[in-house]
Amino acid sequence: MQPNKLLKPGLYSEGSSDRDGATVRLKGGRCRCGYVFFPMQTYGCERCGSHGDALTPCELPANGTLLAEATVHLHADKNRPAPFTIVKVALDDGPVIRTLLADDSAPVVPGQRVTGRLAPVGQGESGETVLDLRFSIAP
Amino acid sequence: MTRSLNELRPVYVVGIGWHRYQNPSETPYVELGLTAIRSALADARIEWPAVESSYVATALLGMASGRPMLRHLGATGAPLMHVENASASGSTAFRHACIEVASGISDVALAVGVDKRNPVRRSDTGIGHLAEDAVVPFTHFALLTNEYAVRHNASAEDIARVAVKNHHNGAKNPNAQRQQERTLDEVLGGKRVSGSLTALQCTPIGEGAAAVIVASEDGIRRLGIDAGRAIRTTASVGRSERVYPPGAGFDAALTKETADLALAQAKLAPKDIDIIELHDAFTVEELHYIESIGLCPEGHGVRMLKEGALDIGGQCAINPSGGLIAMGHPIGPTGIGQIGEIVMQLRGEAGPRQHGGARTGLAHMVGVGAVCYVHILQK
Repeated sequence: MQPNKLLKPGLYSEGSSDRDGATVRLKGGRCRCGYVFFPMQTYGCERCGSHGDALTPCELPANGTLLAEATVHLHADKNRPAPFTIVKVALDDGPVIRTLLADDSAPVVPGQRVTGRLAPVGQGESGETVLDLRFSIAP
Repeated sequence: MTRSLNELRPVYVVGIGWHRYQNPSETPYVELGLTAIRSALADARIEWPAVESSYVATALLGMASGRPMLRHLGATGAPLMHVENASASGSTAFRHACIEVASGISDVALAVGVDKRNPVRRSDTGIGHLAEDAVVPFTHFALLTNEYAVRHNASAEDIARVAVKNHHNGAKNPNAQRQQERTLDEVLGGKRVSGSLTALQCTPIGEGAAAVIVASEDGIRRLGIDAGRAIRTTASVGRSERVYPPGAGFDAALTKETADLALAQAKLAPKDIDIIELHDAFTVEELHYIESIGLCPEGHGVRMLKEGALDIGGQCAINPSGGLIAMGHPIGPTGIGQIGEIVMQLRGEAGPRQHGGARTGLAHMVGVGAVCYVHILQK
């Protein structure tokens, strides 16, 4: 069996597997001032401007509350054929992220608890399964 | 000690002009821009050499596009500056033209916005993203529409009424890109774009130009400009996005703080405003922003809309020009065209879309959410 490959390994890593598949950890950061952000970067803290050692990597569980969803009916980029659904999620650790709803997810409404998982989105050049982050209703 | 615009010497809009906003065409930008500038000069009844400084707002034309346009007015050697600030490029150019005149550096300055719909190019920050390539502006606002609808129990029909009103206004504006009345059924039944947004609830892609000339009292006297048609800029505020508390939408929060500062600068309350031109690129924005400006409490925008309070002739006419949804949003010109509309309304020269007795107008623009500009003009 080919190992899995992550589409964006700079943004998340594969966590332990459970009944529903692989969990995911988002690669966020924390500033000395307490501000938590995603993704990790070392340019400087958006809240206080500290940089360098003040910013440290911090793994964020992909659990949060849905703020909004929108199914996109028209999209110019042929690599991302519509329709697809974008979700805006407030992670439990603070950052708000926007990403894709899993294709097999039930419809979601704001206020619901949602969880991100790694879902197969295609095959790599050597036949490995490519995984990307997708959200769906929390089990 | 720092000072705000209205603590410097008074600055007035004395000339306004447009090239109609329109669907993308073969017309070169030079022709669009010159048409607007010549029309503003004619409106002010002054000649080009009287203009001591020019601010050219454009987001999509590329480097230094102003000189190949302005040289055809006669190259006077006057300073020229290009302003790119996303949707707020025109508002930013207007602010700096006002500041230059109010400071005493010039007596007469031009702010002109011109754009053709070229591809938008944004530089890579070096920071990765999950799926931002899939979140184009209409999806950003489709998400906000969903949040607003759920939080305030507003229906898709409620929100789409913004477009019905603005298409109604645009139908009476010869400078509007879309000049056709639309029923609620037509708006809702149009092509679905993202979430509950349909094509007629989104600003169209287009091109055009808008120009305004600002002058000091010295300039008005020296050039014999009709002071009775001059409209004073009594507040100018520019802000950029901060980190807001969890749960606060940055679009509304940024507009609120910018509008609050502008109202304080002009010593006005929201109820004193007769007309507002605001950034309604997508229907839900109009509701968000009238609430942020303080016309009504959060979530009460739909009620005002349904009561007709936001119509021309209502309590406060919102987007009498047709707004970005109907007048259009060629980017560079948009913020300057808003100023022109307000000036026309305050002069009482807006013809069939005149809001009776208008004395105070507010212009609002955001640029990619990141920046916000608010100007107040008073008769």
